Parts: sequence; structure tokens; C-alpha cells
Amino acid sequence: MPRSKRKHEIASRTVLYIILIIIAIIMAIPFLWMLSASIKSDREVFQMNPFVWIPEHPRWSNYSEIWTKIPMMTFVKNTVFLTIVVTILQLLTSSFAAYAFAKLQFKFRNGLFLAYIATIAMPWQVYMVPQFLMMRSFGLNDKLLAIICLQAFSAFGVFMMKQFYEGIPNELLEAARIDGMNEYQIYSHIMLPLSKPALSTLTIFTFVNTWNDYLGPLIYLKSVEKKTIQLGLKMFISQYSSDYGLIMAGSVLSLIPVIIVFMCLQKYFVEGVASTGLKG
Amino acid sequence: MDELKALEIDKLQTKLDELLKRVCDGIDDRKEKKKCLSRIDKLQRTLSKKRSGSLLSREFKRDMVSYSFIAPNFIGFAVFTLIPIVFAFALAFLKWDGSNEIQFIGLGNFKRLGSDIFFQAALKNTIIYCVGTVPLTMIASLALAIILNQKVKGRAIFRTLSFFPYVGSLVAVTAVWKMLFHPSKGPINSILYHVFGVAQADLPQWFSGSLVLLSLILFSVWKYMGYYMVIYLAGLQGISGELYEAASLDGANTWQKFRYVTWPQLRSTTFFVVVMLTINCFKVYDIAVMLAGGGSGELTTSATVLVYYIYQKAFIDWDLGYSSAVSMVLFVIVLFVTIIQFGVQKKHAE
Amino acid sequence: MRKILSVLLSAVMIATLATGCGSSKNPDTAAPTNAATDAASATTAESSAEPVTLKWAIWDKESTSYWQALADAYEATHPNVTIEMVDLGSTDYMTVLATELSGSGTDFDVVTIKDVPGYATLVQKKAILSLDDYIKKDGIDLTKYSGVTDQVTVDGALYELPFRNDFWVVFYNKDIFDAANVPYPTNDMTFAQYDELARKVTNTEFGSQIYGTHYHTWRSAVQLFGVLDGKHTILDGKYDFFADYYNMVLKQEADGVCRKYSDLKTEGLHYSAAFSSGDVAMMNMGSWFIATLISNLEKGEYDSSLCGNWGIVKYPHAEGVEAGSTLGTITGLAVTTAADVPDESWEFVKWVSGEDGAKVMAETGNFPAIMTDEAMNIITSLKGFPQDEQSKEALAVSNLYLEVPYAPNVSEINSALDSYHGSIMSGEMTVDEGIAAMEEAVKAIKGN
Repeated sequence: MPRSKRKHEIASRTVLYIILIIIAIIMAIPFLWMLSASIKSDREVFQMNPFVWIPEHPRWSNYSEIWTKIPMMTFVKNTVFLTIVVTILQLLTSSFAAYAFAKLQFKFRNGLFLAYIATIAMPWQVYMVPQFLMMRSFGLNDKLLAIICLQAFSAFGVFMMKQFYEGIPNELLEAARIDGMNEYQIYSHIMLPLSKPALSTLTIFTFVNTWNDYLGPLIYLKSVEKKTIQLGLKMFISQYSSDYGLIMAGSVLSLIPVIIVFMCLQKYFVEGVASTGLKG
Repeated sequence: MDELKALEIDKLQTKLDELLKRVCDGIDDRKEKKKCLSRIDKLQRTLSKKRSGSLLSREFKRDMVSYSFIAPNFIGFAVFTLIPIVFAFALAFLKWDGSNEIQFIGLGNFKRLGSDIFFQAALKNTIIYCVGTVPLTMIASLALAIILNQKVKGRAIFRTLSFFPYVGSLVAVTAVWKMLFHPSKGPINSILYHVFGVAQADLPQWFSGSLVLLSLILFSVWKYMGYYMVIYLAGLQGISGELYEAASLDGANTWQKFRYVTWPQLRSTTFFVVVMLTINCFKVYDIAVMLAGGGSGELTTSATVLVYYIYQKAFIDWDLGYSSAVSMVLFVIVLFVTIIQFGVQKKHAE
Repeated sequence: MRKILSVLLSAVMIATLATGCGSSKNPDTAAPTNAATDAASATTAESSAEPVTLKWAIWDKESTSYWQALADAYEATHPNVTIEMVDLGSTDYMTVLATELSGSGTDFDVVTIKDVPGYATLVQKKAILSLDDYIKKDGIDLTKYSGVTDQVTVDGALYELPFRNDFWVVFYNKDIFDAANVPYPTNDMTFAQYDELARKVTNTEFGSQIYGTHYHTWRSAVQLFGVLDGKHTILDGKYDFFADYYNMVLKQEADGVCRKYSDLKTEGLHYSAAFSSGDVAMMNMGSWFIATLISNLEKGEYDSSLCGNWGIVKYPHAEGVEAGSTLGTITGLAVTTAADVPDESWEFVKWVSGEDGAKVMAETGNFPAIMTDEAMNIITSLKGFPQDEQSKEALAVSNLYLEVPYAPNVSEINSALDSYHGSIMSGEMTVDEGIAAMEEAVKAIKGN
């Protein structure tokens, strides 16, 4: 009896690992292909017979050429600037507002929060046109500032941080108030240090979204000097459609920063999602 | 001055005590009681104001502190989100090209939708895309979360790996997919041709015709399942182990454990996942443009989607009112689906 | 209810406010009067030589040779003027430009007009000035533009002046014809002869494929063979005259004579990449590709062993139609209604579109809108231009039909036709279905 149970166990484990490996392959293959193609010549990219991951003469020059074919440096600068500013603003303002919504009593609290909640279910695409018309009348067309305004004050961030703060016991705050701390001190000395998981999660979301955003920059950023990596890469693809190796090299470059950020923060990630009530 | 104040405070205090006594004595009339209570409240407030001696009440101060916390985000949010939303509703009833005069045309824009073939194609494709993507992504991400919640070797690596597609930029990732699924040169079709012996003429044209929506769906599942997997994972970790132990004692097998413990416990997570998925699916734009749009990004009727049409009407044809009317359709659908989901969730909860 | 109403009201107020900002800076009445009253002072402004900066919207500054050349030449002869170019990229240049120019004021003085649908949008938005007063005042002879200006006249008024005039020819790779022992294409081919020739040089053998011909994914590359007889235009609303050409191309595709549309679409393969890879025998494309070919071969961007030996011939023609009819695309300049210095802007437009500009265009290998013999000679004697007589003759055009002539709804008609062109070419619809759908869509647009 125990023996057959054990056998059963081993069999199910094996199946589990096989499934896992298949999933891992599906997830990883496109990225491996990208890396491999980025050091191939255009002709080698689609060569299937025989297929090699690393060509005999890797074309590292793809990685240097991409910087001169398009103003990649400008794109990188713009994207880095936007992403950092948006992420910082988003983290600061939403955790600030979320603290008030979660822990303070004040007039119109529920009404104001309702305004946030109501817009979460409202796709941005519904109001992107009037938003654009408004920004244009502010003179923000073709300005990086427009993207900052667009991305930095999301309802999502406030909602997420509020859920997290509600999980922090009130007694902690009361004790601090009795000790004579004011609300700003409580926020900076108690709440912020406790909210690492939530902040990490929000950082990942905001960073990924801003870095990878396409439609927003497409609508607002027009001149080449203002474009982001995504727009620049798309522009490159439509101009040099058959320079596969170069396209892949550019793609790899555009992935590196997000992957670094994600790797650094991922240890807080599941915890963050769990504690911010994102699971429902 | 101080004496005068003390006197006033005394007077207020007695008034308050009197009222309190009356309430304690018991007033039968509910209305009367409520009135009394609110008066007590008011008196207490004036009292504390007098005592602390400041012009601003404590409450007012408290509100101000709170508002100072909210303001930085709320002002940005109100200006850049709330106002445009209100504006979007108004715009749907207007005819405007962004430069010339605005005309109010009532429901005119909505009437046009009925006979617009491109709009109908976009609506149909978007709905098919959602109907395909939402359940598939949900099932895939739940399955993945359950597997990765077990004690397996290299769990962290697998988790990270399955999140990669979500993190990767769409332009880069679609570029790879287009190469992998290239109709005549890509490795996928090459395998179909060489290994499975599919005739050259029958090789699937992944990005045109009837297959294009399927490709979009498969791509979205691949790209977003890691994201929803993390949400499910968080949900799974919130289920107490005791429930499973109890189920084991009752002799439940793996499937039964899933059916009677995991699934019901994950109900609110599933609700969240489905709502987010639906919203995200209906706003699909970049995936369609990048996978099916070719060089200049224009979509044929077999791949066009609502947001593409909104963009097209607004920024190419400058028919802003009409574009907003299409957005309203998008909004109503998303709202409707969310409300239905909410109803279902509530019913189950009861 | 009251609350809702007040919300709505405030929304409308915001809306009008936003436009108020826009329209005040973009007055449709001010522009023409301005032009008329300032007309006299125009010359004085020039002679007084007050420094002016003109902001000019262009695309692909790096890869296009003439922008800088034009600006330099103009600045050299007009020392008080500085030309500031803003590169908006070529991919969706006209969309971007329309956004820039609509509503709120723009800093652009002069804008380049890339296509007619975009031009129509700008005219309707009152974003660009009617040039009629200026043309009359300076006595510009529009006949120099050989009739194309008529095709972009809007209700009797002209809003742009062309400076570049491209027409479609057939590029061919001589090496491929030599290798296959097939005679070169000629300046007088019918479509049947062209099809036959393409089939002769085609090689479908895997690994050494040669495509007899290549059609870029644009609608113009296939559909517009149909308008060359001069009897039809794309504004007709009846499109059965497209059918023969769609059938010809689809048959070629099925037989491996040209690359598959769906492949091109997936890759987004650029026509220049297709031709320069040396496996395409013939390709119909605009004359702008001549300059690209010459300069990229010279720079070594294209492998000259693959495509260095090229020539051009006139477009094929339908049976019974004279050879030399082809499609044209004009690129023009316009003055914005928001221009701070409309008169100086006009001077620039006039110069670029005139004989001086034409010379600069020709020297960079591009076809000016005013095709003088001098300009023609400059182009044909450029280093790298094919030296055979046929190629030189191919530049003589007898009838030029604009790819898209002006009509009020042209932008929407254009996108409807584009969309169904894609459907037909990718096999989602049969030729007849696609044409029926085009007719239905255009009927709906016209009825609006």
C-alpha cells in the first residue's frame, strides 16, 4: 500500500516537472530566440537547417550599429527620464493620498474615494481624446511633461496603497500619536518603512507600464527628439524591416532596464500583491 | 478677557449637561432624540473650540492635514482624469473637428454607429477577442499558480520566468513573435512543414484572415498569464492549510480539494482577475496594431478593434464627436460586464 | 437631475473653453485679409532684412538629402532668414502634422504637404492659407506645374504649391534579365507583355528564388494600374475597373512570380529592402526611389553586386492606351494660418517651388515640380544614374494622374479603400467581394 502510494507520488511529480519544463520553454523561447537572433546576420536569422543558437561568427556589431542607425541615445534618455519621474511621483503622491484615505477621518472622504474607484473601471482609451484636446490647449502637445501628467496620478496606485495601509493596525498609529508624533511624522517614520512590499509592487507596475507604454507617447510625442524607446523601436522596425538582427538587438536593449528593476524588486512581489488586496 | 471666556465655557457646559441628562432620561420620539444628539455634538464642538482658544476648530485642522495628504495626487487626478472623463461624455453629443465651430447634434453620432461597417467589424472583433482571451488567460494563470504554489525545485526561477513576458516591452516581444510565426520563413511554420508534413499551400497565415484573431488571443494569453498568475498566487497563499488538512481527513482527492476548497476560497480573486482581464481586453490596441498591422500599422476589417477605430476617427479623420461616441460604446460594455460580474460574485457570496 | 444637468453644463463649458483657446489663435477670417494688406509690405520686409526665423515641418531629415540642401541654399541667398527644420518622422507625418496644426496655435510657419488626404484635412481645418492672393500678386504661372495644381484646387482656391513631383516607373535589375537571357523591359509594354516578361524571369526553385516582379503593400502599387487609362478615378464610387489588375497580381502571387502580400505585411518589408536584395527583377515604384538607390549604392548601404546594375522604364499600359501614362504624387509647401510671418513664409514657399528650388532638387537626384530641361539634364547626368537611352526616355511622362486627387471626403475614402485593398490582397475577401465592399463603404461616406 505505501509502496504504491509512493509510486503514485513519483509519477505525479514527474508529470508536474514535465509540465513545468514545457511552460518554461514556452515562456523563455521567444526571449532566447531574441538573444540569438540579435547576434546573427539577417541571413542566419531564419536559417533552420541546421539551426544554431550561437552563430559561428557572432555579429556583436549589431549592438553598436543600432546606436548610430537611429538616435537610440535620445530615446533611452527620454524613456529613462519619463520612467523615473513618473515612478517617483506615482509612489509619493499615491502613498501620501492612500495614507489619508486609509487612516484619517475627514470630510468627503468616502465621496472622494468613490471618484477614484469609479475611474478604475474606466479604460483610459475612453477619455484619451478629450484628455489630449485638453493637454493640447495647455500647450503640452509634444512635451514630455504631458506623459508625466498622464501617468503619474493614477487611481490604481492610490487604491492599491490604501488596501495595503488598511492592513496596518491602528494601535500602532495611536501609540505614535500619544508619543506626540504628527501625521506627517507617522507617515514618514512608521508607514513608509512598513510599506516596502506594496511600494515595490507599485514600482514594478508603474515602471513596467511607463517604460513599455506605446499609445500614450504615440499620441503626445511627435518630434523625433521627444520619442521614447518604444516609439523609436517601432519607427526603426518600419524603416529597416528586414534588418532582423538589428531589430532584435534593439529589442534586447529595450528589455534590459525593466528586467533589472523587476529582478531587484521581485522578492517583495508576491507578498506585495497579497497584502495590497490586489487578489480581490 | 479670560474671565469672560471661563464664564462662557461654564454656560456652555451647563447647557450640555442639561441636554445630556435629557437624553439619558430617555426621549421616546426618535426624531427628537436625533435632534438632541446633533445639538450635543454642536455644543461639544464649540466648547472644545473655546477651550483650545484657537480660531480654527480641531476638526478643521484635521481635515486640512488630511487634504494636504490627498492634494498632490487628487489635483493631478482631477485635472487629468476626471475633467477629461466629463468632457468625453459631452463630446459624444457634439460634432467637432478640433478647429472649426462646435455643433450640438444630440444623438446623431450614435445613430451613425448603426450603419457603420467598420465600427461593427471593430466591435465584433473586440468581443471575439475578449471572449477568447478572458477564460483562456484565467484558466492558464490559475493552473500555473497552482503548480507554482507547490513545493518544486527552482520555484523562484519558474515564477520569474513566467513573469518575463509581462515585463517585456510589447514592441520587442511582438517583433519576435512575428518572426517566429512568419508565414513562409518562421520556425513554427518550418516545423509544421518539415516535421508534420503540412503542405506549403496549407501553412497557416498567422497574421491575416480568420487566423489573426486566434493569434492575437494566443499572444495575449502568453503575455499576460504571468501577471494574473501572481495575483492567483497571492490568493492561494491566503488559503489556510487547515482547510486542506480537513479535506484530506475527509478523504478528498486532488480534484475534490480543488473543487471544494481552492475554487470557492479563490472566488474573490477570480472576480478581481476576470474584471481586470475584461477591462484590459476591451482596451486592446497595441497588440493588434503590432501583430496584424504591418509596417504602417493599418488594420483590415478582420483585425480592427474598437480602440484602433477610436484613434483612427479622432486623430486621422478628426471626427472627434463620433470618436467619442465609439468610446462611449466601449465604456458602456465594460461597465455592463463589470456590473454583471459584480452581481454574480455577490450572489455566490450569499 | 439638477445636479447632473449642472455637471453636463460645466462639461460643455470646458469644451467650449478648450476650443475657445484654439480658435482665437487660429482665426479663419484674419488670415486672408492679413495676406492682402501685408502684400505691399512684403517687399519692404525683405529689403529691410530684419532677421526672421521660419519653422518648417519636414520628415526623415537624416535620410532625405534635399531638406538641408534647400534650407542652406535659401539661407545663402536670404541672409536675414533662418530656417528651423522640425523632423516629424515619415511614418505618420500627415497625422502628426494635423495634430500640430489643429486648434491651438502652432509655431510652424511653413509645412510640407506629403499627401492629398492630409492636405484635405488641413484645408478643412483651416490650418493652412489660401495662396491665391500671393499667386496673383507675384504673377506665378501655374501652367509650369503641368496641370497638377488643378487636381489639388479646393473650391477654386489653392492652398499648397508643389516643389517635388514624383511619378511611378518600373525599376528593373539588368543582371537578372541577363542571367535568364531575357530581353529587358521596354518603354512601351502592355500589361500582358509585362506579365509575360515577369513570368519568364521568375525562378521558383527553393533557395535560388527570383521574383519576376514585386508589389509594395501600398494600395497604389496594384489598384491604381486601373486609373491609368484616364477614364476612371478612385473617387468614382464604382470600382470594377480594379478587378483585372487585382486578378493579374493575385495570379502572379499564386504562381510565385511575386512575394506574397501577407508575408510582406507580416514583415513590414520595405520596398527598398526587397529590390536591393537582388532577387526582384522588376518593381513598380515612385521616382523618389531613384535618389535613394543612387545614394545608397554609393554609400555602400546596398550591395552593388546585387542591385547595382539597374534601369528604369515607363509604366506598362492597357491595350489601346498610349504609353507614358503614369501615377504621380506631389509634395508641396503650405503656409500655416498661424504663421507669425506669412509673407516671409510665402517667399520661402515661392522660392522652393520655383526654378531655384527646382535646381537644388535636381542636384540631389529628386524630381522638382517644375520639370525644366535643365533639371532633367542634371538628373540624367548624375553619377549613378543608368546610362542607357531607355532609362532617360522613361522620365518623359505624357499623362500624369495623381494617386489621390482632391475631394472633400478624400481622407475617409482613402482609408476605406486601403482597408479593403488589404482584405483582397491577403485573401480575406475575393476580388469581387472586396470591390463590392469598397463601393458600399464609399457610398456610405459620400452619403454622409
